[in-house]
Amino acid sequence: MNSAYRAYAAKRLFQAVVVILLAYVLTFVVVSILPGDPITNVLRNPQSGFSEEEIAEIIAAQGLDRPVLVQLWSSLSAFLTGDLGISMRSHRPVATLIGEVLPSTLILAASGLLVALVLAVVIAYGTRFLPKRYGQGLLRGFPSLFLSVPNFVIGLVLIHIFGFQLGIFRVIEPDSFWATFFAAIALGIPISAQIAEVLIANLDHEADQEYAAVARSRGLSKARLFARHLLKPSSLPVVTVIALTIGELLGGSLITETVFGRTGIGSLVQRSVSTQDLPVLQAVVSLAAVVFVVVNLIADLVYPLLDPRVKLLGTPQRRPVTADDNSSGIPTAVTS
Amino acid sequence: MTFATYNSTRLSFWSRLTSDRLPFTVALSFLIVAMAIAWSLAPGLFTSHDPVNGVPAHKLLGPSLQYWFGTDHLGRDLYTRVVYGTASSVSSALIAVLIGVFAGGLIGLLSGFLGGWVDTTLARLVDVLLAIPKFLLAVIVVTAIGFDTTNAAIATGVSAVAVFARVMRSEVIKTRQATFVEAAYLAGGSRWHILWRHVLPNASRSVLPLAVLHFGDSILVIASLAFLGYGDPPPASDWGLLISIGKDYLKWPWLVYAPAFVTIATVLSVNRISRWLRKTD
Amino acid sequence: MIDRLFFSSLSRRRLLTATSALAFAALVTTMQPSPAFSADTPVEGGDITFLIDSLGDTWIPNNSAISSFQGHIWGHVTDKLLYVDADGKVSPWIAERWEQNDTATEFTLHLKSGVTFSDGTPVDASAVVANLDIWYAGRKKEGINPIGLFPKTYDHAEAVDATTVKVIFKKPTLGLIPTLGYHGSILISPKTLAQPATDQADLSKTSGSGPYVVESWKEGDFVKLVKRKDYNWGPAAVGQTGPAHLDSITYKLVSEPSLRVASVQSEQADVAYNASPQELVTLQDDGFTVATPRYLGFVNGLAINTKLAPYDDVKVRQALQSGINRQEIIDTVYTPDWKLATSFIQSNVPGATDHSDLLAYNPEKSEKLLDEDGWVKGADGIRTKDGKALTLTLHSNPYLATSKSVDELIAQQLGKIGWKVNIQAYDVVTFGEKVKYGGPAIPAYEVTRSFIDAGTVAGILTNANNGENWFALDERDAKLNELRDKIAGAASIDARAPLLDELQKYILEQGYFIPRTQIVQRIYVQSPKLKNVTYNGIGYASYYTAWKSE
Repeated sequence: MNSAYRAYAAKRLFQAVVVILLAYVLTFVVVSILPGDPITNVLRNPQSGFSEEEIAEIIAAQGLDRPVLVQLWSSLSAFLTGDLGISMRSHRPVATLIGEVLPSTLILAASGLLVALVLAVVIAYGTRFLPKRYGQGLLRGFPSLFLSVPNFVIGLVLIHIFGFQLGIFRVIEPDSFWATFFAAIALGIPISAQIAEVLIANLDHEADQEYAAVARSRGLSKARLFARHLLKPSSLPVVTVIALTIGELLGGSLITETVFGRTGIGSLVQRSVSTQDLPVLQAVVSLAAVVFVVVNLIADLVYPLLDPRVKLLGTPQRRPVTADDNSSGIPTAVTS
Repeated sequence: MTFATYNSTRLSFWSRLTSDRLPFTVALSFLIVAMAIAWSLAPGLFTSHDPVNGVPAHKLLGPSLQYWFGTDHLGRDLYTRVVYGTASSVSSALIAVLIGVFAGGLIGLLSGFLGGWVDTTLARLVDVLLAIPKFLLAVIVVTAIGFDTTNAAIATGVSAVAVFARVMRSEVIKTRQATFVEAAYLAGGSRWHILWRHVLPNASRSVLPLAVLHFGDSILVIASLAFLGYGDPPPASDWGLLISIGKDYLKWPWLVYAPAFVTIATVLSVNRISRWLRKTD
Repeated sequence: MIDRLFFSSLSRRRLLTATSALAFAALVTTMQPSPAFSADTPVEGGDITFLIDSLGDTWIPNNSAISSFQGHIWGHVTDKLLYVDADGKVSPWIAERWEQNDTATEFTLHLKSGVTFSDGTPVDASAVVANLDIWYAGRKKEGINPIGLFPKTYDHAEAVDATTVKVIFKKPTLGLIPTLGYHGSILISPKTLAQPATDQADLSKTSGSGPYVVESWKEGDFVKLVKRKDYNWGPAAVGQTGPAHLDSITYKLVSEPSLRVASVQSEQADVAYNASPQELVTLQDDGFTVATPRYLGFVNGLAINTKLAPYDDVKVRQALQSGINRQEIIDTVYTPDWKLATSFIQSNVPGATDHSDLLAYNPEKSEKLLDEDGWVKGADGIRTKDGKALTLTLHSNPYLATSKSVDELIAQQLGKIGWKVNIQAYDVVTFGEKVKYGGPAIPAYEVTRSFIDAGTVAGILTNANNGENWFALDERDAKLNELRDKIAGAASIDARAPLLDELQKYILEQGYFIPRTQIVQRIYVQSPKLKNVTYNGIGYASYYTAWKSE
């Protein structure tokens, strides 16, 4: 490990911390623009019968009428010491709330990613094996199709067919195996499209390389050529794409969880947004930023060690065919 | 995989469009998009029913010759509602793309062209926007500015700023280093002249297919926001809202399938066109 | 290669979760309800699943949505001092008897003995005093709110002996007795009440004295209640005082109405809450029990802002009153289970009288009134007067799922007469911020409000005594002021009845309140196997008396 690498690693680490803190502040600023607050919202329910004077009195008693900057400072300093605060909506510690729902979202995101990977590899594999004229063109159209279907529609159709018509899973037990399976499909399909596109592009690229031609001329079977010589080098950029889709997995789970009725980060966000529960929103956004930044940090730090073709020239130059110049940025799905 | 070609004798959009090599699927895609545009400009030409006032006695009828897509819970013709909802669905996606292109493009352009501390500062901003899942960002922004379709479009545009900024930046850097730009420098061209005449046109050529792609994507994101209830209230008939209303009536599945089909067909066509634009010939 | 390692470890972890999920699914399918016997005799045991669209925000008892979703759970976990049935009749529960002094400022409650909270604390006079105190005042600094509808005239309460409580008010408060049976007045263990807000927010740390206790819960997901075996202090009015029949009730959050209904149809669950009215007819045909209990309260309708032109004009208000086809609302948006409004309060409220004649659909009358008033129909069918169009903005009430559909239909009906109706649908948050009675841009406020005593109406008519001033009349209508004061000061129900009748007629004639339909805010679709469910005065289903037949 040379000193250039260490300096590079330190710089990336510093940037990562800055990004997370900025995400925290940004959320605070955006959510603070909102009129009202969760406490007032509950009190304003016509059934509660509170007068405006009573509401103002309760708000003042809880320090919600303090200047915004004072509130930001007190929440930021608590955040820096690892205290995520108390939910304004449920009055329970934010860490407890997130801890309760996180496993469900992680299971869904991991299953969704798995579905996406399997689909992407099958599609990419298919483009190399089906006859060029018919099947291949069709398969190459799949990513495009997958990116055009809103994932709530996929979810609704899956629930309608497999949940009700065929009765494969009980809709009211969204954490059961089959319910998770179908939720993962709804989540994974749009994401598979992005991975498949990069994989196909890289397969095409690698297949044109000299060594593939040499291997082919040596009589290597198509399947072995694909597995050994094409898939492996093509999977490096795929790792990058996966790192970049982490955010989309989280974002996509927002809708998928709603459609399937799962209790996860997504439903927590929805509840928190509708009641302007600032501490929870800040924690979730920061958490998402932390996950995204850490995954990409690992990718950035591991990449120079993995791929001898990548040279450190001050800024990292990973990705043989990068997300930036492939298809001008990753096609973004509705899930993002 | 590079599509930014630096010679000046590129085929124009129109000559490509009229060339006889236009693939069938692309032609079909243009037809569908043209249809969507026509629906949004003059919905009255395509249907004789009223999108807001239905015939209460005809509620929840299946698709028929009289009601092509069936009727909804208030006896309104669903086809008519889809047609009248097009304008809002299409124009809101357009707003989202314009915000993404202009705000993102500007950030990317300044970042790539000026470099230095401007680049570093803007890069952090873009990093933050990239680090927050796009849909989460859109949800939070739309909550902040209020629930309606235009605000959903703004939120969608804001969440796309980072991607455009990134692509623009890398294109600007690529172009800046190209030989002909170096040559223009040496020939004494001013910074802004070079930016305007050489860097911008070349860089924006790769932004066009991305913008088209994002147009389709924005339709989906706005539909998703409407689905979650962050769009216009009824009697608006944005596609996402129609699907969202339809999900409450799963027994009458055309209420979901018809608007979903129109959405998918439109987005798929837009994606196909973007792909075709991206191809270098 | 690192990436291969990453993949294999990922798939192993994935496999592990998959198998555990499978094991969980198998466990669930083996937990089928136990078999039962004939139809009419109660069957002991059994479990039911109740699908609900929300489980509220917080479980701090005072702050929770007692009036909407969480009231279902509280109704089984806690008891009240008095019971109010669907017709508004008050009967004993934890309080066996009660007395009041002549001026209605002092009340004495005599409690049942031997009642305990699930944490073992007795439900005695000191526990009741602790509850009364926190209902009235809350602990605002900690974030514990008072109960909004508890009489503001409360002074203090004292424990005379272990089973006698004396409640003292600053002013006459006839409303106390019905209020004690209202959904907000739930008895919670003093040990729970002493806990800080963050602990009160954890439902599993809360103890009530009800027939069920919380076994487990997860925020935004479910609450599972199990039977309390030593319970024997149920309200006599429901015909049962011993323990409940059903072993457990699971309230499960399913936010899509169609999914809730479909799950009950496919026998995956027993009760679906808030089904879409459109589906009810088919469900009834398929043999499912559909319950649409009406709560005691105001009907669903519009409180008109009389300060805002053109609704300061009585003729315009009257044209509005006769321009709405209420029968069409029921036919299109609802089912025959919904009742036409006969007044501005629900017809099951004691004291409500029938004024259907004032609410008949008569578009000709409306057109005539508007013509006489100088509103001229333009080429686009919209009436104008002095260059101003006849417009009405409706803000759909987010607390009533069908509100938007009704608004859309009313827009069509009024459109024929010459109104231009705009519909604005806000979410709960924005609605609370922007839509208020008499607001500068709010010509009509859509009311959904329950109450337990018709005397409540005196508090909404004007702005006197902190009144809600629904019609923005302030004190401009002398007749209304007179009726208000007489109703508030009435010493007995009998003396109050004719006054209430006069008030209802006057408000409808003046077009101050435009009823739409009688409100059903709680719709239940139940499996036909579920028997003997009772509904209280606020439309809540109680499964305390229920059982599941085979």
